[in-house]
Amino acid sequence: MPDGPLVELERVGVRRPGAVILRDLRLTVSAGEAVGVFGANGSGKTTLLRLVATLFPPSDGVGRVLGAALGEPGVEAVRRRIGFVGHQPALFPLLTLEENMLLVADLLGKPPGDARDALEAVGLGGAVHRRVSACSNGMKRRAEFARLLMTRPQLLLLDEAHVGLDAAAGVLVESLVSTVVGDGGAALVVSHETERITALVDRTVRVEAGTIEGAP
Amino acid sequence: MTRLRPLDLAAVGTLLTALATGLVVPPDAVQGDLQRIMYVHVPSAWLAYLSFGITLVASLTYLARRSMRWDRMAAASVEIGLVFTGLALATGMIWGKPVWGVWWTWDARLVLTAVMFFTYLGYLALRRGIDDPARRAGRSAVYGAIAVIQIPIVHFSVVWWRSLHQPPTVLRPDEPQMDAPLLFALLMAVFAFTVVYAALMRRRMDLEVLEQVRATEIEQPVAGAAVAPPRLGGVADV
Amino acid sequence: MNIRRQTAILLRRELRSELRAGEVSLVAIPFGAIAMLLVPMAVGTDTPLLVRIGPGIFWSVVLLFGVVVTQRQTADVGGPQLDLLRLLGVDPAARFAATALAGAALLLAFELVVGLVTVVLYDPALDDPIWLAAILPAAAFGLAVVGTLAGNIAAGVGTRVTLAPLLVAPLAIPILLGAAQATEGLRLGESILAWLLLLVITDLVLAAAGVLTARPLEEAAP
Repeated sequence: MPDGPLVELERVGVRRPGAVILRDLRLTVSAGEAVGVFGANGSGKTTLLRLVATLFPPSDGVGRVLGAALGEPGVEAVRRRIGFVGHQPALFPLLTLEENMLLVADLLGKPPGDARDALEAVGLGGAVHRRVSACSNGMKRRAEFARLLMTRPQLLLLDEAHVGLDAAAGVLVESLVSTVVGDGGAALVVSHETERITALVDRTVRVEAGTIEGAP
Repeated sequence: MTRLRPLDLAAVGTLLTALATGLVVPPDAVQGDLQRIMYVHVPSAWLAYLSFGITLVASLTYLARRSMRWDRMAAASVEIGLVFTGLALATGMIWGKPVWGVWWTWDARLVLTAVMFFTYLGYLALRRGIDDPARRAGRSAVYGAIAVIQIPIVHFSVVWWRSLHQPPTVLRPDEPQMDAPLLFALLMAVFAFTVVYAALMRRRMDLEVLEQVRATEIEQPVAGAAVAPPRLGGVADV
Repeated sequence: MNIRRQTAILLRRELRSELRAGEVSLVAIPFGAIAMLLVPMAVGTDTPLLVRIGPGIFWSVVLLFGVVVTQRQTADVGGPQLDLLRLLGVDPAARFAATALAGAALLLAFELVVGLVTVVLYDPALDDPIWLAAILPAAAFGLAVVGTLAGNIAAGVGTRVTLAPLLVAPLAIPILLGAAQATEGLRLGESILAWLLLLVITDLVLAAAGVLTARPLEEAAP
C-alpha cells in the first residue's frame, strides 16, 4: 500500500478537440476516505472518474493514483487495484453472467468458484446462465458489483452508483464502499442521489465548469 | 500577401529551367516528342518514393519522440506524395497508350505505384476520421510505418509475379538508352521536382502550424458551461 | 499472468461470442459463397475459362470479403469492455493476438466453405491439392493479422467498417499473390515452395508489426 494519499491531483486539466473538460482541478483522497462527487450534467464528473481510473493521462498538471504517476508507464501496475463501474456496463453482451465473471476470474488467476459465489452474493444466483443481452440494466449493474466483490479493489470508483438498482440492491453500494474504506482503501462515488451519498461518504466535492472549488 | 521565400523562388526557378530544358533538348530517336513526358513522369515517380520514405522516417520518429512536428511532416509528405503519385500514374498511362496501345500493362513498377497511391489515400482517410490530434498522430504514424515497411514485400512479390508472366522482349519506354543531353534534362527535372517537393513540404508544414496556433489562440469553452438547468412551465418572455 | 494465458482466455471469449452472434457463419460465409455464384454471370460460363480463373476468383473473394470477417462486431472491443480489460491488466499484445487468432480460425472456416463452393461451380483441376492444407491456413492467418491491425488502427473512427478494407487491401497484396500463385502452381503442376515462403514471411512481418504496435494504439480518449 502506498504511503500518502491514494489519489492526488494537482492542477489537472483534460482537453478534448474544441472543449476543455477539466481545468485546474485539485483533489486529494486519503486512505480510509470516501468522497462523494456531485455536479450537473456535463460538468466533467465521469471524465474525472476515468482519469482517476488511469485510463488516460491528463492534458495538464500532475496526478498520482495509488502511488503511480498518471501518464507514466508505471501506472499499469496499479490498475488491478482499481475497481471501476461506469455508466455503461463493462460486460460482454453475448456471454452469460457467469461467463463474464469467469472471464474476470481467469484473468485474475482466481478460482472459478469465486465467480458463482460473487453472483450469489449480489442476488443473481438464479440468473447465472442468462446472457447479458437478455438482462435488465439493474441486473447488469448488480453483476458489475459482483465483479467488484471478486476483485476486492483498493480504490473504488463508482459512476452513477445507484442507477438501475432497486431498493434491496441499493445496499450493495453502501456495503461495498464500507468494505473498501474499512480495509484501508478509498472510494470516489459519483451520484445524483445527494442525500443518500452524503450519508455514506466522509465528505463531498462539487464539480462545476470543469473544476472543484474549495479545498482539495 | 504571403512572402515568397528563397526556397519558393528556387523551386519556381529550377522547375521553369527544367521544363524549358525538357522542351529544348532533341527528341528521342525512337519515340520522338512523346518521350518528353518522361521529364514529368520519372521525377513524379521519384517523388512518390521519396515521400513514402519521408513518411516512414517521420512516422517512426513521432512514435519515438511524440513530437507533433514529426506528425506534421508525415502528413504533409503523404499529401504531396499523393499528388505526385497520381501524376506519375497519369503520365505513365498517357505515355503508354500510344506506345503499347493500352492504358495499363501490369508492369511491376506501375502496379506498385498504384498500390502506393491507394495506401496514401487510406492514410488520409484515416486522418480525416480522427479529431483528436494526439490520437490522429499516433494512429497515422503506426499505419504510415507499417505501410512503408510492407512496401518492399509488396514490391518483391509484384516484381516476382510479373517476372513469371512478362514476355522476354518488351519495349520498355521508361528505360531507354539515353544520350547525354536527354540524361541531363532528366536529371535536371528530378532535381527541380525535388526542390519543389521541399518547398511544398515547408509551406504545408507552416500551414499546419498556423492552424494549430489559431486553434490554441481561440479560447476553448469549458464543456460543462453549455449545460443549464431546465426551464419548464412557460414560454420565454417576448 | 503471462501473455499466452491471457491470449487463450480472450480467444475463447471471442470464439464463443462469435459462435452465438453468427455473423461469420450466417452472414459473411453465405456472402462469399454467393459472390462465387455471381462472377460467372458477369464473365460468362465458358467452362475452360472458369476452370482457369476459378482459383483466382476464390482468392479475390477471400481477400475482399474476408476483410468483413476481420471487422466483425465481436472483434470490436471498445468502450467499457476495453476499459475493463485494461484495468484487469490485459496486455495489449494478448488482445491483438486473441483477435487475430480468432479471425484466422473464422477465415479458415470461410475459406473451406467458399472453397467447396468454388470446387462445385468452377471445377478447378489442382495437382497435389494436399498443399492447400498449408496455403489456406497461411493465407487465413495473414489476412486475419492485417485485418486485426487495420481494425485497431481504425478503432473508434466512425467509418471504421468501410475504412478498414481500404487500409487492408494494399498491405494484403503479398498474401493474395502468394496464395493465388501457389494455387496456380498447383494447377500447372509447378513448385510452390517459394510462394509459400513469401506467405509465411509476410505473415511473420505483419504479426510482428501487430504485436509491436498493440500498445501504442491502445490509448483511450477521455
